Amino acid sequence: MMRLALPAQAALWTVAAFVLLLLYGPLFLAIFFSFFAFRSNRVQWDSFSFTAYARLADNQRIIDALANTFVVGVIAVALALVIGTLLALYHHAGRGRGRDLLQVVIYLPFLVPPIVTGLSLLIFFRQIDFERSLVTVVIGHTVFVLAVVYRNVLARLQTVSRTLVEASLDLGANRWQTFRYVLLPQLMTALLAAGILAFALSFDETLITLLVTGTKSTLPMWLWSMMRLGFTPDVNALVALVLAGTTLLCLLATRYLTKP
Amino acid sequence: MEGRVPDPPLSAPMTERDIADGRRAVGAWPDALLTVAAWALPTAFILVPLLLFLVLGFFEVQGTDVVYRPTLKNYARFFTDAGFLPTFISTCWLGLKVAAITVIVGYPIAYLLASLRGRAKYTVAMFFAVPLLMSYIIKIYAIRSILGGNGFLNRTLLHLGIIDEPWTFLIFNLNAVMLTLAILLIPFAILPIFVALERIPRNLLEASADLGARPLLTFLTVILPLSLQGVVIGASLTFVLAIGDYVTPQMVGGIEGFTFGRIIYSQFGFGNNWPFGAALSVILLIPVLMAIVAADRAGRARYAT
Repeated sequence: MMRLALPAQAALWTVAAFVLLLLYGPLFLAIFFSFFAFRSNRVQWDSFSFTAYARLADNQRIIDALANTFVVGVIAVALALVIGTLLALYHHAGRGRGRDLLQVVIYLPFLVPPIVTGLSLLIFFRQIDFERSLVTVVIGHTVFVLAVVYRNVLARLQTVSRTLVEASLDLGANRWQTFRYVLLPQLMTALLAAGILAFALSFDETLITLLVTGTKSTLPMWLWSMMRLGFTPDVNALVALVLAGTTLLCLLATRYLTKP
Repeated sequence: MEGRVPDPPLSAPMTERDIADGRRAVGAWPDALLTVAAWALPTAFILVPLLLFLVLGFFEVQGTDVVYRPTLKNYARFFTDAGFLPTFISTCWLGLKVAAITVIVGYPIAYLLASLRGRAKYTVAMFFAVPLLMSYIIKIYAIRSILGGNGFLNRTLLHLGIIDEPWTFLIFNLNAVMLTLAILLIPFAILPIFVALERIPRNLLEASADLGARPLLTFLTVILPLSLQGVVIGASLTFVLAIGDYVTPQMVGGIEGFTFGRIIYSQFGFGNNWPFGAALSVILLIPVLMAIVAADRAGRARYAT
């Protein structure tokens, strides 16, 4: 891109800094108020404490919601990794309108607004008389994150040299061995990155979950119900923990994404 | 809803040899069986639910039961009953404004990213991408805790004596919804524009400069037209996500900030009229499809050389 004159650079950096402030400011403020109290309209600087975090550990509902979120995320990601990889292999192994159409179907839950994906699953579950529970949440999340895994694996497959597969088959390996010892190692970082991304998406998923969830709730559902009541230091502490976790996942994902 | 990333360019088309190799690698299953196996799950959990959802809109509720006799009553009601059409239009308008804000503010940032070099480029770009993975509900919560009547901003201004009564125009109206959505969605606008700017061949810029164009002229006649596809993709993404949202309007919109997404959601809650809700969602899909088609066409556009 063109080298910019200094005034232009300064102007662009100002816009960027302003937007970064809008993106991160509210989050840092929430983290800040997990440590400090806000009373009589101002920050109480002498009130620094970890009590909000300690109270979290005593709140059984939060712990349950957190556990549910993890269980749902892990199962949905595992399912999406297996199904997504198989579908990517299928697409890569041939061509034709059918395969392209299937690809569109896989991307559909990602293309249409989440409210439509969520509603269609809600209607589907009621039509087949399937009680809403964590199982339906897992299905919803799997359908949603499948596209991420599929996309990542397919992109990686397209970079794997076919001579490797050929050599393996010529040297007498069977198809399973070729997949296990030649293709899979090449796909490993793509699978890791996709898995982490998918887990982060599942962990935060709100719009679909809200529609397909039963009585047991995940963390975003619990936050959604708490937010109507207002802002407490406990919620801020939880927010801080979740943000720390997400940041960690992002760092991990970029590490594996940038690896060749 | 988070984490939509623009598609990377497609690879070169496969040769017959590739296909043969692929077959050998995947297995000697009969083609038909393989096709059935591949389609089974996507059909069961994506296609069938979406079709059921489309069909449900053509039935009606009598009492508490759905009567399975095809009718267009739900669609007629959208046009005849007061409130639905105006809300639909105001929601589309809201989506357009969000798309415009995110693209106009996002463009200079994408340009800045594209003008950076080496590591700095991707480090700064990451700062704008990471919020996409952060909890959506937490971001709304954080924004609301600042803007709210009892929020940080008002209470601080009160304390400093700048205002005597809390500002109420910051929250619980359509403007609050618009601003919150713009903040939440701006990374979706920045990233596709950044990608489009990165794709512009450098020699075009050099040619323009060699032919005597000043930087501003090069920007207006070369860079801007070539980056428009990224602008269209970014605007489509933010538009689609903005008009379909129902949680943001619920959290920061109050009674005034009523959007089409909230109407749809209420049909599955208090309203308890699923067929009508399904019909309204199908109507919502019309502008969504238009935006997706626009993005798709922009994405396919190639430089005329």
